[in-house]
Amino acid sequence: MNKLINFKIDGISVEAQKGETILSVARKAGIYIPTMCYISKTSPCASCRMCVVEAEGVEGFVLSCNTPPTEGIEISTNTPALQNERTNIMKLYDVNHPLECGVCDKSGECDLQNKTLEFNVERQSFSARDQLRPTQNWGLINYEPSLCIMCEKCVHVCNEVIGDDAIEVKFGGYSSTIIPKNSETLDCTFCGECIAVCPVGALISSGFKYRANAWELSRVPSTCAHCSAGCPLEYETRHSSINGENEIYRVKNNFEFASLCGAGRFGFDFDNKAQGNESAFNRAIEAIKGAKAIRFSSMITNEEAHILQLLKEKLGIKLFNEDARVFGEFMKSYSSVSGKVHHSGSLDAIKQSDAVIIIGGRIATDNPGVRYALTTASKHNGAKIVYAHPMEDTLMQSVTTQMMKYEVGTEEGVLALLAHVILSEADLSDSERAFFDELDFGYLYAETNIGEEELSHMMNSFSRAKKRTLIIGNDLIAHERASNIAKLAALIEKYSDFSLVVVPREVNTLGVSLINTLEHDENIPDVVGYNAKGDFVISSLEGADLAVAALNQQEGTFVSIDNRVLPTNVALSFHGYTLNDIAKAFGIDKKNTIDYTQELNKKAGFKTVAFDDLENFLSPFGDDNRGYLLDEVACKADGELEELEDMPEFNGTIVYHCDPVLQFNNYTFKAEQLPRENFLLGSAQFGVAARISDGDNVEISFGATKIQRTFKLDSELKGTIALNPTFDISVDASRYRFEKSKIVRVV
Amino acid sequence: MSKVYFSTWNGEFINNINTPAEEWKESAYNLPAQYDSHRESKAFIGWDGVALFDKDVDVIRLAMEYAAQYQEYSEACGRCAPGRWGGRILYDQLDKIARGEGSRADLDHLREIGKSMQITSKCEIGKTVPNPIIDLMTHFEDVFLECINEQKPSKHYNESVSYIAKITSPCSDACPSHVDIPAYIEGVRDLRMDDSLMATRQTMPLAHVCGRVCPHPCEDACRRTNLDEPISIMALKRLGADWETDHGYDFFHPMEKKADCGKKVAIIGAGPAGLTTAYYLAAEGVATDVYEELPVLGGEVAVGVPEYRMPIAKYNKDIECVRDMGVNFIVNRKVNADDMRKFEQDYDAVMVATGTRISKKVYCDNERADIKGYWSAIEMLDQINLWDKYGIGERVDLTGKTVVCVGGGFTSMDVVRCAIRANAKKVYMIYRRDEKTIIKNTTYEEYHEAVEEGVEFLFHSAVARMNDEENVLKSLLVDKFELVPDPNGGRAELVKIEGASYTIETDFLIPAVSQSADLKLLPEEWEIEKTSWATIKTNGKDYMTSRKGIFASGDCEYGPMTIVNAVGQAKRAASVMARYVLTGEVTLTDDEIMEDHLRKLRVYDKKEKVTGWLPGVARAHSEVLGVDERKYNNREVNLGFTQEEAMSEAERCMRCYYIAMVQA
Repeated sequence: MNKLINFKIDGISVEAQKGETILSVARKAGIYIPTMCYISKTSPCASCRMCVVEAEGVEGFVLSCNTPPTEGIEISTNTPALQNERTNIMKLYDVNHPLECGVCDKSGECDLQNKTLEFNVERQSFSARDQLRPTQNWGLINYEPSLCIMCEKCVHVCNEVIGDDAIEVKFGGYSSTIIPKNSETLDCTFCGECIAVCPVGALISSGFKYRANAWELSRVPSTCAHCSAGCPLEYETRHSSINGENEIYRVKNNFEFASLCGAGRFGFDFDNKAQGNESAFNRAIEAIKGAKAIRFSSMITNEEAHILQLLKEKLGIKLFNEDARVFGEFMKSYSSVSGKVHHSGSLDAIKQSDAVIIIGGRIATDNPGVRYALTTASKHNGAKIVYAHPMEDTLMQSVTTQMMKYEVGTEEGVLALLAHVILSEADLSDSERAFFDELDFGYLYAETNIGEEELSHMMNSFSRAKKRTLIIGNDLIAHERASNIAKLAALIEKYSDFSLVVVPREVNTLGVSLINTLEHDENIPDVVGYNAKGDFVISSLEGADLAVAALNQQEGTFVSIDNRVLPTNVALSFHGYTLNDIAKAFGIDKKNTIDYTQELNKKAGFKTVAFDDLENFLSPFGDDNRGYLLDEVACKADGELEELEDMPEFNGTIVYHCDPVLQFNNYTFKAEQLPRENFLLGSAQFGVAARISDGDNVEISFGATKIQRTFKLDSELKGTIALNPTFDISVDASRYRFEKSKIVRVV
Repeated sequence: MSKVYFSTWNGEFINNINTPAEEWKESAYNLPAQYDSHRESKAFIGWDGVALFDKDVDVIRLAMEYAAQYQEYSEACGRCAPGRWGGRILYDQLDKIARGEGSRADLDHLREIGKSMQITSKCEIGKTVPNPIIDLMTHFEDVFLECINEQKPSKHYNESVSYIAKITSPCSDACPSHVDIPAYIEGVRDLRMDDSLMATRQTMPLAHVCGRVCPHPCEDACRRTNLDEPISIMALKRLGADWETDHGYDFFHPMEKKADCGKKVAIIGAGPAGLTTAYYLAAEGVATDVYEELPVLGGEVAVGVPEYRMPIAKYNKDIECVRDMGVNFIVNRKVNADDMRKFEQDYDAVMVATGTRISKKVYCDNERADIKGYWSAIEMLDQINLWDKYGIGERVDLTGKTVVCVGGGFTSMDVVRCAIRANAKKVYMIYRRDEKTIIKNTTYEEYHEAVEEGVEFLFHSAVARMNDEENVLKSLLVDKFELVPDPNGGRAELVKIEGASYTIETDFLIPAVSQSADLKLLPEEWEIEKTSWATIKTNGKDYMTSRKGIFASGDCEYGPMTIVNAVGQAKRAASVMARYVLTGEVTLTDDEIMEDHLRKLRVYDKKEKVTGWLPGVARAHSEVLGVDERKYNNREVNLGFTQEEAMSEAERCMRCYYIAMVQA
């Protein structure tokens, strides 16, 4: 069915697949057609009209960005008549465009500048009366309407890729402008993608405004260090004063194909400004000598993890990392049914899906990369998206087609119900079939609060789907029943056409879980902390006994949600010691940390590739050439489903650990531009149940932890679960994210 | 046709400059020479040229005001570089000349920018705005040069002159509801389904319905046909509505509901016309009570159109959208003449939208309603739909039965396909004319789907007699006809073939020939005027009946017609009524007057050559359930476009917006 269309562009024979346009085929063939409004990851804006071409036998000019070719057509992209019209369009774009290139942030990398020169527009033959168009200050983002060329890229990206749908075109011919949608000021997640795609200096970062010129900045290609999405980015650095240290001025991304959230874009200044000194280093060595364990976070590179593993083996100490440990155990259970180590899905698989179930995570803030992939699937494929969670999330409404609201703690039952309907006709083994036959459906429907009708509605809505994905969120990883949940997820992946994505909590949870042998954190004395608590703390955060480099100050790799090993690079230098220096003191002797890149655990799928051989770019067509994908590793599939346990009950006031937009961890907490709103957010109903009101200072106790926060009413929330941020504290990652809590007002 | 002073409309060239008025030639087109009852038009300017009805017209200002309208009508423009700046430059340069400050170079700039706009603009509005302006500059060059040379303002530059403009497009002109089709297609293309849906709801509250079961007269006026095939306009409408429903959003209304104006209106009938009247009146702040005879809302679309074509869950969303505007519904309430007399007192106006719910007879021998097996289409579909959709009444089970339907329109298609789903042994459709005509009267899809499901069509046939035994239908005598061409070239005539008649054994005869209106609710003493086919008479513009304050719309006014026709009438009527309840006067807005003028002129020109688009990009077709998957159930047959299909179909739309403007 999928017949190729053969045609010619400028005399060259080319072929188009279904869905391709003349422009996209031309680009693949290396034929240049100028555009001002085209962006690969959205539907065509079709506003600039620069991409017009001529077609043999067709009167008039044809727009190439949104026209699919027809069989045998001959296209010309560069005739004098076309050049003349394109030049005229450039002349129009220049009408009343303020001549402030000298101070404009975009100068030097401005599409309007570039094309004005390209088309040699030296003089203005047209004019129109100018208009007053004041600058709009929208917080992290500023909008300068007089510079805006109304290409509409920002509007398309915001709606189709990000999902905020926070800006729109205010139609008005010559006075058309971009305005916040349904709001006085910009009300969005401040991802800043609109800044990234703006071809001129109309949408800019208020923090960067007037601080540097594009040509002065050095670009360091790297990988975002805030969550497991592994988004590509470039740190742009420059000396901060004469003879001054280098500083990161801003972060940019390859917006043509990739996207970045606001934490990635604006939260770049988490570098460790402290320095390591020799005496601290010596004390660190002593501390490790006397340590029974090293406790560490997953905000480290694979190479650091590998060194820690070597230290463990050499010194016979334990390694604690509850986040990676529970993740690793989850994946081990998964493997025991699937017979392989890695989940099958990826962000790309989500983007291409037309049916998705996402369960057990507040995904929009947990992992914006997943959210953007869902937005793409929703907008571009009309994907049916089931969002299963005990709480609604307004950020998810625009993509969700079915909210499946289950009771806190009943995830195992929900997974069993989902697996049951998805696998109703699958060729299961006898014991697997017996598992489902023995389910007490009445009990499950009642306890989970998921009805038969909801499940059949879901299956109906999926009936036309061609690509399906199941996304397992973080709530399920540290779940009491994680092991059986993982097996059920594996079963769905194994016996249906669903691909599976398990969302790792931190930037390198996945990598650490594959590299380190971790033990249950017993809270014993004599523990050295590495970017974590301990009796002696080695950390890239403030207050360490020995300072080490933050992730934007070192080379190394992460493993992303896509099972991709991604390089990170030194954007800023660090003065002091590294973990490798410590290892050397113990005779673990390699010159550089990155000498370990090619030695990473082969049994987990790492390849023998040296760090300096890792590529880090997207091709001009968006192919991901960053690092490499882990090899698939087969393993024994000898796991058996366990009988379901009775569902727990969660009554009273419950807190759910969940960070607000733009915050992830102690590093984003450091970032100057990111808001640090650490309120306990709850509904009016929660306030009544906890007997607290808006603005009260409260003490929240759960497990052995007590924290103090200010309570803030959130009109978008419902029910008796409140959201408790964790970016400014550290929580025990081995605990279920919902906590029964005691809340008292502090006077 | 009217006499013109000057016209370049649609390629004609009439120049009566220097000719005495009585010798002026007529234009070949239905140009709006008379604007309304008390205003003559002085000029008409639009996408296809310009016509002057009066020598005194200030052509420079006319051109300038036309360019200004392009700036004004921002809903359709400002979306591309040539249009956005070009339009402004056109206006600024023309204004410069008109106020007496122009130079010869400005004329060159106007021509140059005009040409660029014609070639590269995104939509037809940008491509066509320069047309009449350049016509005026060419044919009245001396007038322009005089202003430039003498640096003086154009002749009426400083006077107040009335210009009335309207945006149109061939498809929305042809749509009886005048839905802003290019806008809702643009919403799909831009993946902004909220915008798409709100564009539809500006004039059409039943987006789910008219995205599914509209016979889409717009597609017959789609300019893309001149290039290859028409856009699948109807199916794209459904996207926005399905999106809103799928995502569980609150209803996207295109307007803010106005504050209560203290007036109230009774609406009789909760079908498409009643719902539409209620929606737009409620939006205007008028209190609306809708009285419905049946226990359910929705009229014939609910109890006539079967579930497999129009799922009630989706229609209910449209109805809930209307309710959400603040409409009050009263069901199980048949309105009689006494009620009407009372309503006239209690309400500020009344809308009669009761449809046509009496099935007409077949007119055969022995046609008696008391014969068992004689079952009117309306009653049959009522029973089936009330059971299938609401669980009211009892299930229709035709197992082992033979069913004969006489018809040829949509209702008869619903009858035969419902009979298949009710498990009938054999289903016949008897139709006087041929296959081609039945497709023309319904749709290609509808006919072929019925054939696939096993309906046997008997063409050129008519029932001559019902044969009963003790009042139980046993068989039908069917006459055969043939089409005999008129030797004089007139319309071919159906002539009965003698000796070819035959008998069909059957359990049911279902007449679905046509329906008539039940107007017993109109008090006799009101002497409300009727049409010759026994529907309520109005002037077809403001929809007030011969009795002041009593309005009528939909099938009870027009006769059995389409949903979109009923909606279009009711939308207009609601606009008129909203003003009537406040002022007591029956008026049309300028926009409505222009709408009617343009409809008469006809926006679509099937002979026009389309340029600037690559021909041969195929129309998308949505997936339809296979015959075995659909035949014995009520699953929706047409699955609608996938997102990918919808987007590629939307990309085919050429955005044929135009501006027309009258100087009156």
